[in-house]
Amino acid sequence: MLRRRPPDWLTLLMPTIIVIAIIVLIPLIFSFYSSFTPYKLTRPSTLWRWVGTANYERILSDLNFWAAFGRTILFLTIALNLELLFGLGIALMVNKVTWGQRTLRTVLMFPMMFSPILVGFQFKFIFNDNVGLVNNALQSLGITDVALPWLVDSKLALFSIAFAEIWMSTSIFAILILAGLFAMPRDPLEAAKVDGCTPWQSFRHITLPFLMPFIFIAMTIRSLDVARAYDIVQIMTGGGPARRTELVWTLMARTGYVDARMGIANAMGYVSILLSIFFTIYFFRKLSAARAELGL
Amino acid sequence: MSTIATDRNRLHRNRQRALSWAHFTGLFLVMCIICIPGLWIVLNSFRPTVEIMAKPPIWVPTFTLEHYRAMFGGAGEGGVPVFAYFRNSLIISVTSTIIAIGIGMAGGYAFARYRFRGKSYYFVGLMLFRAVPGVALSLPLFIVFARVGIIDTHFGLILVYVAMNVPFTVWLTDGFFRQIPKELYEAAEIDGCTRWQAFWRVEFPVARSGVASAAIFAFLTSWNEFALASQLTRSTGSKTMPVGLLDFTAEFTINWGGMCALAVLMILPALALTFIVQKHLISGLTFGGVKG
Amino acid sequence: MAEVSLRNVTKNYGALEVVHGIDLDIAHDEFVVLVGPSGCGKSTTLRMIAGLEDISGGEVAIGGNRVNDLPPRERNISMVFQNYALYPHMTVRENLGFSLLIAKRSETEIAQAVDDAASILGLGELLDRRPAELSGGQRQRVAMGRAIVRHPDVFLFDEPLSNLDAKLRTQMRIEIKKLHQKVRTTIVYVTHDQVEAMTLADRIVIMKDGDIVQVGTPLEVFERPVDTFVASFIGSPPMNLLEGKVSGGFVWITPDVTLPLPTVFSGKVAEGQRVTFGFRADNLMPKGHALTESGATADLSLTITLAEPLGAETMLLSELAGVEIQGKMLNPRPVSEGEVLECQLSLDHCHLFDTATGKSLR
Repeated sequence: MLRRRPPDWLTLLMPTIIVIAIIVLIPLIFSFYSSFTPYKLTRPSTLWRWVGTANYERILSDLNFWAAFGRTILFLTIALNLELLFGLGIALMVNKVTWGQRTLRTVLMFPMMFSPILVGFQFKFIFNDNVGLVNNALQSLGITDVALPWLVDSKLALFSIAFAEIWMSTSIFAILILAGLFAMPRDPLEAAKVDGCTPWQSFRHITLPFLMPFIFIAMTIRSLDVARAYDIVQIMTGGGPARRTELVWTLMARTGYVDARMGIANAMGYVSILLSIFFTIYFFRKLSAARAELGL
Repeated sequence: MSTIATDRNRLHRNRQRALSWAHFTGLFLVMCIICIPGLWIVLNSFRPTVEIMAKPPIWVPTFTLEHYRAMFGGAGEGGVPVFAYFRNSLIISVTSTIIAIGIGMAGGYAFARYRFRGKSYYFVGLMLFRAVPGVALSLPLFIVFARVGIIDTHFGLILVYVAMNVPFTVWLTDGFFRQIPKELYEAAEIDGCTRWQAFWRVEFPVARSGVASAAIFAFLTSWNEFALASQLTRSTGSKTMPVGLLDFTAEFTINWGGMCALAVLMILPALALTFIVQKHLISGLTFGGVKG
Repeated sequence: MAEVSLRNVTKNYGALEVVHGIDLDIAHDEFVVLVGPSGCGKSTTLRMIAGLEDISGGEVAIGGNRVNDLPPRERNISMVFQNYALYPHMTVRENLGFSLLIAKRSETEIAQAVDDAASILGLGELLDRRPAELSGGQRQRVAMGRAIVRHPDVFLFDEPLSNLDAKLRTQMRIEIKKLHQKVRTTIVYVTHDQVEAMTLADRIVIMKDGDIVQVGTPLEVFERPVDTFVASFIGSPPMNLLEGKVSGGFVWITPDVTLPLPTVFSGKVAEGQRVTFGFRADNLMPKGHALTESGATADLSLTITLAEPLGAETMLLSELAGVEIQGKMLNPRPVSEGEVLECQLSLDHCHLFDTATGKSLR
């Protein structure tokens, strides 16, 4: 019997592939093309002028871009590491709780479900120098007389944004690591205790290796969404004041929509896409390796 | 001899006590940090604007429904058409979720049940499309949609959200289907089912709660999305709530109270749904993807 | 009438062939057990009969009709899985009636069939429970009920008892046997447990590395194993096997240990041939503790290294020519380690295999 039919798995995957191709792949190809043109929204004819890699050369020699790029990397590194650290700490603490654990877990999930834009607004309000909760509290408690410019001073603004980002994303780490702790077999830990391991030793040599795949799942999911920081920054500071909190994504949006210079914005877009892809692939590989190691 | 033993016992007992105190305090602080921002928003949605803006701050709140009344009173304060935004959000999120679940479930089933070459590469490849930053994608989509004429429509945004939700739905449903032993559909096939019947009669009902969680997750992603919606929608007819939130910001002033009220309206469905899915969501995430 | 026949059936995954051209005829109403160590291809063979695996080559026929390309649902078979594969979202009643529901039978007909199956297996009180609320043995029974409800041509069992504890396994084994007596149907049963095979089968098919090694009734394969593999696989404890050389009517294991060549083999072996001498524990017994039996015997004086009292009998472990061998003591008395016992080996029940090929020389 000769069947000239695509295999079932391909038929099942076809809708997925088609949707992705139409909505994501084709626009990406288009934007890749336009990143080689001086395309301006206001002058459509510019789409047909080929300028080669001029856009890329331009952004690569643009100090503002490099500043934003460096800031983005720094921001992500700090945020991701702190999120992991806090997430781990919170998971361990919640795991030790003997009653009300379900409630705590539910509370932990709340920030995950907040719209990033909402998180941005929320902290814009809380860190507002005039009516914000933080300054109100600090002043009422007499810790400071002046209103601290949380969203204006460059260091404080980055801190505030990072705080918002970490507030929003620590949950995913805490929740998944907690799931790992629940799934963890008790015997090895008890054996270690009997063998004379200190709590730190059994954490370091038994708990942590077991948690690694869960940590990487969290990292992978998180890396899919690193660009969510755009929403937060866009709302809290808009990249300002005076570019002090500019990240790659806000710079790109400004170049594209405000300045209408689509060609160069798309070139920046490609840099940011590569950045996201790099993070995702990196963590996916770590995840596969960790899973293989544990035989999961 | 026995005094030494007593001393050591006491030492450990004291250390235990100190640890459990630190544990409790730490947990309390964490929960405060998680809860206070949200509560602050809720609280302020019920306070009169004068009080929010008061200097020095007023710590004992007075209760008012002025912001909600304004919000639900048709055009609302400052003319923000909250109802229209809510309706847009609902239509777009629900429709895109249903379509994304249909498509994503087929894909997830393929990953969970069939072996084929390069499977893990397909999977990672799919996820990479999800990783494309919304802002970066919005630039070409803005141009393409403008050309095709579906910019500023429900349809356009639904399309985008379907594409955005499909990869993650695949990940989640793959995890759920993988938890179902394959003997179950084999038994169904032997009991006389076609593959199609076996899926709908046996595998789907068993994975139902998992699929529901995936659906809720997709819904929330669409419900909360901002980067794409802010560029692809312009008018009252298609703007979603996250975009609508911006309406409360004028050049130099922000209507904090009104914004808080809208924020509460946005959070409530999300929180309710989170409550429902929490258990399944975690099991799907940890089970799916990149193996086998 | 539903006899099952396999003609030169092969299975390969890519370049790897796991079943190499199997021929097997199973008669109507026969209970056939496929047995072998894990990875021998027995489950794959069963799944090919079921239609869950594609057949790479050869032909499978059920009731005389070729079924190679038919999906499982058109083969009129039913199957009991190792992990039972009960539908967790359905009650026991719905589980039992599912196949009839799919076949669009009427409600009364389904109810009748479900009740019949339930009464055969004693499931009456469990009908409204869900699988999660059942014990292992109950799940097992429901899985069997689901299989019989449809009156299929062939029952397939894929290691159905391996998830049960020892006591329950014995009990369910008896139930399966009784079930076969009640609903006479062709049964193909896969297991890796030779005790299950011996107790259940009308005929045993012993497989190894994708080939059938021997087909026969339980007694045949026990008493006439075709090679050393079957000899050591069937029977508990496994057959004692000692390598030696034929010389002058004796098998020389070592210069110190010789055993007389059993008369049935004289003339079938060449002088100097390397052979493997085999005998079962049942045929090596201390004098005075054996069943009285006529026939040729050989005397052995054995130093006991370990005695395992089992109640009615005691297993004796000893060493002969550097190989651990087992004997049996009936009407036992306490035996201490290091004790020397005078034993008798019943030569009529001994086996001789060619060492090079492993094949029986009988």
